[in-house]
Amino acid sequence: MLPKSIRLSSIAIYSATFILGVLSLLYPFISSAIVQNTPTGQAGFGHTPLMLTVLLSLSLVVLIYEVQGQVNTKVIALLGVLIAINASLRFIEVGIPGPGGFSPIFLLIILAGYLYGGRFGFLLGALTMLVSALVTGGVGPWLPSQMFAAGWVGMSAPILRPFVQRTSSYSNSKNQSSRIELLALILFGFFWGFLYGVIMNLWSWPYFVDPVGQYGSQGISTIELISRYTSYYLLSSFFWDLSRAFGTALLLFAFGIPILSVLRRFLHKLTFQHDQTNLQEHQFQAAIETVLKDSIHIPQ
Amino acid sequence: MISFQSVTFSYPGADRPAIQDVDLVIAEGMLALVCGLSGSGKSTLLRCINGLVPHFSGGTLRGAIRIAGLDPVQESPNMMSRHVGFVFQDPESQFVVDRVEDEIAFALENAAMPVDEMHTRVEVAMDMLKLTPLRNRSLDNLSGGEKQRVALASALVLKPNILVLDEPTSQLDAGSADELLQLLVQLKGEHNLTVILAEHRLERILPYTDQMIYLDKSVPGVLSGRPRDILSLISLGPPVVKLANRFGWEPKPLGVEEAKKFISTSIINPIKKVSFSSESNYKQPYIQVSDLDIHIGTKQILDGINLNLFPGEILVLMGPNGAGKSTLLRSIVGLQPINSGSISVANQSISGKHVSDICQKVGYLPQDPNALLFAESVSEELQITIHNHHLNPDDMHPDELLRFLGISEKRDSYPRDLSVGEKQRVALAAITITQPGAIILDEPTRGLDYEAKQDLITLLKIWCAEGMGVLLVTHDVEMAAATADRIALIDQGRITAVGDPVEVSASSGLFSPQITLLFPGSGWLTPEDVTL
Amino acid sequence: MINTWTWFIWIAAVLIALSVTRNPLYIILILLCLFLLDTQLALKSRITNGADDNRSIPVSPFRIALMLITLSAVFNAAISHYGETVLFSLPTSFPLIGGSITVEAFVYGALNGLVLFGIFYAFFILNRALSVRRLIRVIPRAFYPVAVVTSIAITFIPNTIRQYHQIREAQSVRGHRMRGIRDWLPLLIPLLTGGLERALSLSESMSARGLAASTANQEVWWGRIMVLFGLLLLLIGWILTLFTDWLLFGSLLLISGIGLLLIVLWLIGRSTPHSTYILEKWTWQDALILSGVAAVISALLFPLPFIDKETLHYEVYPTMHLPGFDPFIGILLLGLLMPAILIYISNISVQE
Repeated sequence: MLPKSIRLSSIAIYSATFILGVLSLLYPFISSAIVQNTPTGQAGFGHTPLMLTVLLSLSLVVLIYEVQGQVNTKVIALLGVLIAINASLRFIEVGIPGPGGFSPIFLLIILAGYLYGGRFGFLLGALTMLVSALVTGGVGPWLPSQMFAAGWVGMSAPILRPFVQRTSSYSNSKNQSSRIELLALILFGFFWGFLYGVIMNLWSWPYFVDPVGQYGSQGISTIELISRYTSYYLLSSFFWDLSRAFGTALLLFAFGIPILSVLRRFLHKLTFQHDQTNLQEHQFQAAIETVLKDSIHIPQ
Repeated sequence: MISFQSVTFSYPGADRPAIQDVDLVIAEGMLALVCGLSGSGKSTLLRCINGLVPHFSGGTLRGAIRIAGLDPVQESPNMMSRHVGFVFQDPESQFVVDRVEDEIAFALENAAMPVDEMHTRVEVAMDMLKLTPLRNRSLDNLSGGEKQRVALASALVLKPNILVLDEPTSQLDAGSADELLQLLVQLKGEHNLTVILAEHRLERILPYTDQMIYLDKSVPGVLSGRPRDILSLISLGPPVVKLANRFGWEPKPLGVEEAKKFISTSIINPIKKVSFSSESNYKQPYIQVSDLDIHIGTKQILDGINLNLFPGEILVLMGPNGAGKSTLLRSIVGLQPINSGSISVANQSISGKHVSDICQKVGYLPQDPNALLFAESVSEELQITIHNHHLNPDDMHPDELLRFLGISEKRDSYPRDLSVGEKQRVALAAITITQPGAIILDEPTRGLDYEAKQDLITLLKIWCAEGMGVLLVTHDVEMAAATADRIALIDQGRITAVGDPVEVSASSGLFSPQITLLFPGSGWLTPEDVTL
Repeated sequence: MINTWTWFIWIAAVLIALSVTRNPLYIILILLCLFLLDTQLALKSRITNGADDNRSIPVSPFRIALMLITLSAVFNAAISHYGETVLFSLPTSFPLIGGSITVEAFVYGALNGLVLFGIFYAFFILNRALSVRRLIRVIPRAFYPVAVVTSIAITFIPNTIRQYHQIREAQSVRGHRMRGIRDWLPLLIPLLTGGLERALSLSESMSARGLAASTANQEVWWGRIMVLFGLLLLLIGWILTLFTDWLLFGSLLLISGIGLLLIVLWLIGRSTPHSTYILEKWTWQDALILSGVAAVISALLFPLPFIDKETLHYEVYPTMHLPGFDPFIGILLLGLLMPAILIYISNISVQE
């Protein structure tokens, strides 16, 4: 296939998985009005929370398949080690202390995604969740949406680059970070601290409240549903998310610049090109003979 | 056959080539020993053999390489993996899976080998390296030596004809290192392997070496030939070789047994080395450990330890793995809580004191200097220690210290990019900037080349002459012989011997340098002591 | 040894059962099956390891059950105000929760909590039954890079933790103390730098052992087209079932989309040059468990003549009433008990 068509199909796959993912999360809002239209009024095949989770997992699987196509051994090793560090932060004594939904993992996901690109960020985010779940015995239906959300955090981080580039003399090769860059990262971390909670709530809502089964049969408008979701969100996890957002922002503020400088230093070791000037085959044969003759001693 | 023809290689962005104009032939079935100081291009040379250079490293390669008829630059490391097995330096960072058996199978899985054959090969490889009893073990629980055996099995399981090892013993203690090299020699014989080995520890491997290859960063090309020929041209070498160079013995002996031929018993005139180092020569110990007991869980690690370190002496602590050496060191600086007994530093008991307060009086160099270094520059590292201890920066003289340690040119460098020896210097600077009365070093010779080791010995002797007490834990017998004023042996949590090195070496097989083996009863420890 | 895929199929059956019915009697029956399996697995790990599985969650599942059910009940009562048996009313001026609090909403919430607990408990058991290694091994071949990354991460976690403790000691030796958040820096930076350096040597070691640099993704061009096609089928099918009356057609598209994606990924996996060291076998035990699963699925999804499927649909609203119970469905649901029986038998034979 031509590179151009690879690019196109790649974009198409990204978009389709994105739409599918968003749709399966926002589905209760869209479908509430619809369920009454269906002949039975019963929530059917595509409507159970588990079915949504299955769809979400599938689009996640396809997205991972697409993203992993670009990795080489260096990226594989680097991802593995960074994920190990991220997952270990949980086990290190009290971890980095903090209340509620605070979690130190977003720090590395955001910074690595920002510097090493969206694909890297996506894999780092999604697989950090997978590995954490594996080692803590936390594999469950919540895992796909956690992986999706954390993957999106890393995938979206490079969006900051053009913004930072325009406002300051940003350069990837220079080992320097500007104030604007740090500020942008902090705001970004704060924003995702919340959004991650919103996404996880969108996932858990159908399980917890079963809005379609419960409200749909009663007939309820989308606006009313949104206000119900909002109250669910505010009651269940607003403060939780607030601590995550502040925590992530604080970590970025405290460690952002030094970690960026470490990651930047390493960047050139990940990317390289080699050129070579080889001898022709016949020259080589002749050369070998002289070496054999000249060497001090060839042990037998 | 392995052949290099005018090979020159530069890493990306480097201002000079890592190896230059290398012409080299290694015939089949040889054991080739690659030596040279750190930074001389040993690793680069080895990596050319399986195509990691330039495929993995990037950079510019000129010249031609043929490995068993293949050109690793045209092939990828992936293809070369079937012909060349590779074992790396650090046993901690080469494993993908956490179970011994699965790890060995990893290369076979990548080669898409049928399941039945895979199982046969894994069994054979485990048998060869005596890993069968460990097959279900987690790699995390293995010792360094066992880990390197797993790495060796993982490299051999693809049945390569060529085996390349890049300083495989540098992170191991002496016992495991000897065992690994012994096993390697045996495997080479049984399976007709061509072995290319980079190694600092020449004592054990020299007698089996067919070909020696020497690299020097200031001279292009390599010196290659019989070990005896090469050894007379270079300054590296184990004590017997140094002795042979001094007295003009020919052909050069490579081990103690060969050297014995040159010694006629009549010329040996045993003179007892005058001992300056009994405890009574010193007045007041700087570090005093009395009746120390330590339990970890239900296990007794230290049992009634009494040990003193006096100002102006180098005390070497030796003992097998798990004897409690590290625990003792860590308890002195307060990292390990003690069960009973007492420790005092500079006449003050350490109980109740914070680690950082104790360490202002006693510098402690951990095994891995990397754990210390995190600043952007060498001089910043020193400032951080000064700041940590709330010392007045005007009283400290970081520049002087850096000059004394020979790293003042590196003051603005990024510490992590320095060589192993230089990193150790920076770490030493960071812990001695507080001007402690004593320093403690835990296995400081790991990964050091001969030159860096010599520099370290000189440094310790100067500090010692200035009145500092030095407590050194090492497995390196020659290092101990060259530095010790006193030696203490520890086994199963008890001090079994302490005193003059000559006396201790006479009473225990654990401490017996080459020269002592060559001249038993002479009281000589190092080549410099020998008077014929 | 029960095959990993058998476990997956078994848990899928549990999940289907839990999502098809809201009848508390059936749900409790399912939970009973899970409980018996859990106790047998705990016994097994005590026999083989001499201790409980260290990976299991420190909180007991029953505390979680209590928490989930209460939380869900109170929550639902506060938010949804349907139902006719009103307990009391909160003034409508209360933000978010104003309105009448009903018994039905309580019960609905509690039932929901029960189902949630069932889902949680089933996965809790899965995590107990399958080791991390077995879970990584089933990552399909098309995802080989992901499998390697996951494996490396698991291998390096203990290593990283040890590293961290070394660094902390080394820093305290040079006078470092923990006072504020910035004092984490001397610990984090060496951990990260050391990790990056390790990653480089690790990737060298992997290259030297023949891990191919790129995956088959680029070469298998038809794979990408088919994946895209499968996604489109799935998306269109789902939208049809949601927004139109073409339920059957939509569902058909949806299912064929899922099927296509799975088949394509399987084919791509087969075309990657790679083999697997440890292959799990299928035994008669798997056959028994799968037949149990078949019984459950047929009771729940297919219209069998002797079964009263109406008892599955239990609706609390508008007024509370007692649920019905069909003994046939109850007996068929016990098919989920099969793994518990098999492990019970093996436990007994081991103990003797």
